[in-house]
Amino acid sequence: MKYSPKFCRSGVAALAIAGLVAFTGTAKAQVDVPLVESGSSLLYPLFNLWVQSYQADNPNADITTTSTGSGAGIAQAIKGLINIGASDAYLSDSIVKEHPTMLSIPLAISAQAINYNLPGVSSLNLSGPILAGIYTGKITQWNDPAIAAANPGVSLPAHVIIPVHRLDGSGDTFIFSQYLSASDADWASTLKYGTTISWPAISGEIGAKGNAGMLAAAAANPYSVAYIGVSYADKVAAAGLGTAALLDADGQYVLPTQANIAAAAASVENSTPPDERISMIFAHGANAYPIVNYEYAIVDSNQQASAVAEAIRAFLTYSTTEGNNASFLNQVHFLPLPPAVQALTAAQIAKIQ
Amino acid sequence: MMKLRPFRLSVLGLSLLIPAALCAVVLFLLIYSFPAIRFSGFGFLTDINWNFGDFDDDPVMTRGMLVPGGANYGILVFIAGTLLSSFIAIVIAVPLSVGAAIFLSEAVPPKIRPALSMLVELVAVVPSIVFGLWGIWVLIPFIGHYLSPTGNGYGLLAASVVLALMITPIIATTLLDALLQVPKENRESAFALGATHFEVVSKAMMPMVRATLIGGIVLALGRALGETMAVAMVSGGGFNILPTSIFSPISSIASFIVNNLDSAEGDPTNMSVRAIAEVALILFLITLAVNAAAKILSSGAFHVRKRQQ
Repeated sequence: MKYSPKFCRSGVAALAIAGLVAFTGTAKAQVDVPLVESGSSLLYPLFNLWVQSYQADNPNADITTTSTGSGAGIAQAIKGLINIGASDAYLSDSIVKEHPTMLSIPLAISAQAINYNLPGVSSLNLSGPILAGIYTGKITQWNDPAIAAANPGVSLPAHVIIPVHRLDGSGDTFIFSQYLSASDADWASTLKYGTTISWPAISGEIGAKGNAGMLAAAAANPYSVAYIGVSYADKVAAAGLGTAALLDADGQYVLPTQANIAAAAASVENSTPPDERISMIFAHGANAYPIVNYEYAIVDSNQQASAVAEAIRAFLTYSTTEGNNASFLNQVHFLPLPPAVQALTAAQIAKIQ
Repeated sequence: MMKLRPFRLSVLGLSLLIPAALCAVVLFLLIYSFPAIRFSGFGFLTDINWNFGDFDDDPVMTRGMLVPGGANYGILVFIAGTLLSSFIAIVIAVPLSVGAAIFLSEAVPPKIRPALSMLVELVAVVPSIVFGLWGIWVLIPFIGHYLSPTGNGYGLLAASVVLALMITPIIATTLLDALLQVPKENRESAFALGATHFEVVSKAMMPMVRATLIGGIVLALGRALGETMAVAMVSGGGFNILPTSIFSPISSIASFIVNNLDSAEGDPTNMSVRAIAEVALILFLITLAVNAAAKILSSGAFHVRKRQQ
């Protein structure tokens, strides 16, 4: 088939218009360097929301997102294989000592719920020491005196507890074990915290893969208890699981509601150091939920090319300002950074050169 | 002596690429994991405790090497989980697949045999994640409700059943091909001697295809040993504890590697990643041993075909 001259001419015209649009687009967009983000599976859905909307505003921005896990995100960001590592945990002291140019930049606030499948029980109080007892095998029955003491008036079943934990390395395990370390001296000195814990041998315990696997395991096993990120709150409720109120630093039992998570974040707002590496476990303050954390971008402040540094700065600035709007965060049950933390984050982003 | 013509030379080069790639992988694993091998010694295989140690604190000198405090690498639990789940899967799958193959070759009219055997082959191409999901939503609640004394469906039995389903078509199709190749004369002479249909199958046909059956089983065992995703989803992820019953949680080597590599990368001394490389090396050695056994056991696997010619 031969193209008619008329068709050719209109084709050329279309190309010219497209070129013109592309040209003005380039002039308007600040960045056209390809960026790669990789890491936390908890942050991954949020990054996708951000990138979609960011690219709608900046057609030339080229950002690839992948979900590989916090550990891989940190490791690859340090090696310079990716531009932005996403992590549920800040960089450890030993890594910062070894790689002083690596920054931990909070992007949003998340929390973790303790969910239970307990037939006949609709509200349950738990505490760090009780959970440490359950996950080390010292507390094995639901009607254990320690649990009964925290739940006056609740008739607890005389049934073996099935503790569910992550079998894959996970930021959720990091936060949960950090919480147990802060609650229990034994746990702090032996098991400590990390993305994989050397789980004590308990007969009947279950290791599940991913947050979805945790949810499925808890739903399928009555008398189980599990730790699941609050992003899964809707699915947890749909599966009929209960959410436990946890004992906070001031001796109150609090649920992971938006207000209680915000209360924890607010209490740490002014004590967050300039490098923003701080645990929000057991934040003080009225109704402050005890298992709250910053979600981090792990970025090297010392970039090879200034154009790349500029592209990273532009995207992270967008994520932590416009990207902190409820329209994005509510979809994954995250909370925005408080103003003082936002200022610290902006100062850290400015360091990327 | 063969003359090395350009064609022969180029094909030789290409064929050498495959063993070369294999050697490169093994050599890399060996070199990379060498510090971990030195650190753990033989205890790597006999210890049931795996602990990445404390990544946050400064690394400590242990046995002359810089490792995270408290680090200890023992994979007996994962070896036991892998071998037990694969073995039970074979025990479940062999009667199923032998029955299916005999049914297809003997009891089904030749006209509809291709359609039915295709259905069996179809099971072999179902992605393992689909089996894993079926395990989570159907099998585990079933085991938990009706079989398990603790009400927990995750564990060795669930992993074995899922693996058994995945490998049944491998054994069944291998065996079916062999049964269909048994010379007509053998069958008919057995019938002529007055043997019942059952006797023809069990005494005249099965002995002829035994080697193929063993070959198929070992092939299936290789698949079961290396299966990652489906096992990870239903095994219950046993850690630091050897299984005591078929309802105990287990971990397989392959699923342990894929699920913990991410954590290992957080180790500032890198010893955790080297230890995981050593785990991979062990898995490779186990599958190598299985395949070697397959070669020995099934050395006569194709004698049926040869006799036919």
